Amino acid sequence: MIVVFALSVMTVLLGSFYFQKFSVKRPPIGVFNLADLVVMMVMIILLPYLYIWLPSWVAAGIWVVEILAILYITFEPVMRARWTIGLLSLLLTGAEVALSSWVTGKTMSLYFMLVNDLVLMLAIAGVTNLWVQSGMKARDVAILGGFLTIYDLVATSVMTLTDDLIRQTVGYPFTPMIIWPVGSEGHWFGIGLGDLLNATVFPMAMRKAFGSRAGLAAMVLTLGAVALVMTLPLTKTFPVMVVLGPLMIVHYLYWYRRSGQERTLGQFAVYSNAGAG
Amino acid sequence: VFEPSKGKKMFETAFAQLRTAASIALGIRFSPRALERLVDAARATQQEFGTISLDSAEMLAPPTLDEETRRDLQLRRFRKQAKLALETPYYRTLFERLHLHPEHLCWEDIQNIPLTPKTDLRNDSDAFVRQAAQPYLRTTTTGTTGRITSIYFSQHEVRVMVALSALGFLTNRLLSSADLVQINTSSRAALGNLGLSGACFHIGATVFLAGIVPPQQTLALLSEEHHLPGKKPKVSAISIYPSYLGELVETGLRLGYRPSDFGLEKVFVGGEIVTAGLKERARHVFGNVAIHGDYAMTETLPFGGQLCSQGHLHFEPSLGLMEVINPETGQTAKPGEFGTIVVTPFPPYRETTILVRYNTEDLVYPLAGPMTCEKQALPATTNLLGKLRLSVRHERGWIFPRQILEALEAIEEVPLPARCGFWPTQDGVAVEVVTRADNARVRAKIERSLGDQGVPVRELYLVSDPAQLQSPYPLRCDLKESVFGNPSTLVKTNSPAIPSLADKREKE
Repeated sequence: MIVVFALSVMTVLLGSFYFQKFSVKRPPIGVFNLADLVVMMVMIILLPYLYIWLPSWVAAGIWVVEILAILYITFEPVMRARWTIGLLSLLLTGAEVALSSWVTGKTMSLYFMLVNDLVLMLAIAGVTNLWVQSGMKARDVAILGGFLTIYDLVATSVMTLTDDLIRQTVGYPFTPMIIWPVGSEGHWFGIGLGDLLNATVFPMAMRKAFGSRAGLAAMVLTLGAVALVMTLPLTKTFPVMVVLGPLMIVHYLYWYRRSGQERTLGQFAVYSNAGAG
Repeated sequence: VFEPSKGKKMFETAFAQLRTAASIALGIRFSPRALERLVDAARATQQEFGTISLDSAEMLAPPTLDEETRRDLQLRRFRKQAKLALETPYYRTLFERLHLHPEHLCWEDIQNIPLTPKTDLRNDSDAFVRQAAQPYLRTTTTGTTGRITSIYFSQHEVRVMVALSALGFLTNRLLSSADLVQINTSSRAALGNLGLSGACFHIGATVFLAGIVPPQQTLALLSEEHHLPGKKPKVSAISIYPSYLGELVETGLRLGYRPSDFGLEKVFVGGEIVTAGLKERARHVFGNVAIHGDYAMTETLPFGGQLCSQGHLHFEPSLGLMEVINPETGQTAKPGEFGTIVVTPFPPYRETTILVRYNTEDLVYPLAGPMTCEKQALPATTNLLGKLRLSVRHERGWIFPRQILEALEAIEEVPLPARCGFWPTQDGVAVEVVTRADNARVRAKIERSLGDQGVPVRELYLVSDPAQLQSPYPLRCDLKESVFGNPSTLVKTNSPAIPSLADKREKE
């Protein structure tokens, strides 16, 4: 549990560090807006069903392509040579596939979990940066948090969708969770990809929109929520967004009321360059 | 004609990019909706990021083609255009007479299609309109050649041109929603004015059609301070004829204007020759402004030439076919020979007035040898030399308007715009020019400057009044519009600019 929390903290910090240091290569024309958010929400609803319904090799194939692209985008501003970016992306995805239960036919190994966690941490940092650096507003992140609060509650507590998805994907390439073994063999503890995406993107979006104090407060809040959930005496899958989502909305509304309006990325860059980001 | 699109989502933007790319690459009809969506997305990008990546201009540019692919693409597009031309009375008659079949045209056939002279278009512009076309806008040239020429455009064409123009301004970082744009061109230059004002409409810039009014009135408008939310405090961009810009410079210096009186950042000049002297002297009044002067003409829009940093005029091959034809031999000009620009605008850009091998009468030299500029992948010529009918032939060769104007406008003693005339004499040319003074020093300076431009001056006449010129070179700044009453009174009534300038100077 402590390891999973530490990995969650590292993911959030990695995303923010990347946001501070690197500019992800975004589409030259177009800004992320509410309409894109609606498309994203529809995808969130449909994708789990698609992954459960699709044959496992097709679902794994889609993941491989997606993760390869995300890792490439993430490494692009960090490394100069294209071949090193391509090679590193291929090595990581290759290692993940080779160590998965899908290939080995055994239960998840510690090595698989290590590689899977590393790949997810990098992918989360890249994706969240692509969102925010493409113009995703703190408002959009708060709305997404609100939507996921209801979605997570329904999918996890009312329906069995989350559990079905975990059963279907765990041990397979790119298991959508940061996981670590606990107790007896075959047992593990983890936090979902969606929860970590929100916990990572929110501080970045808040920092861009309202300044470093708002961003730092958002980071403490989201990680505090994750820590709180992890200390609960859980016996089954818990919808983390039920705690995280409302906190995100309240925090956003507080800063919005305080500041009046969000800063654009252009304004954020000006403040950052002046050392007041 | 202008429909602002409402959404600007990234997914839709990606689709709009694909749709537009298909039109550019395959020559299929543009979707104005997709183009407007792109403009909207580009504007949102500019607002969010404070600037727009220059990659966006590259992304929307047609692909770079090798010589063989370019010729293949141009031949296919030429055939397509020739097919459309068959729907016009003028070309139907011509093609029947020549037994030409558009679908089987080869490069040799194209060389044998007679050039379409300006006079034919001027005399019967309706004969160049496709039978199936739906003309919406009749725009005319300003008639510097004596009579005006009409060109028709459909609503679709105008909408596409306006959106393309807006995209060009945005992606090349030339205009933003904060700009105040003033148009000081003739109201008859309808398409150009509509194109710029329409682009401003999409971009969100404030636009003002000032016209060609007395220069002191324009200067007052340029120096007027505004307090519009989200806008720059003074006019930041101007569209203007070079000769009228010359008038502004001359009047501005006379009235004591300084660069600090203006907020001008960009000057879009066109329709006439832009000289290095004019650019240099304009900076004395307006400061370090960026002067953009590409080549375009109403008849062939949106096909035109873009100037590179080395002063070449580059033509985008997917927009039209540009040939340089030697007016003396009627054949393609060889390296070292000058020629007139002959243009065939391609689909999908034109669908109403169709022109095939249109003789623009604008003179250039074809470029010999490989280029090293940033636009080296595009076919190019030298910068414009001037109109054929305004050039003179003497016993040892030709003298072009650019040579005369470059020589004269570089000299401070010649008021801007250079009002002059020139004609052939024995073994050279005679030049007449309006100067501030007539003395041996000025005379020697002018003769030396003309000599540097390769002009064999045999007679030089210096005059103090433009009315004394025997053969005045036509200038678009003379297309003045009337104003009510005394312009200075009018300016004082409507704008505090001139009085405040006087007050400011008094305080200083």
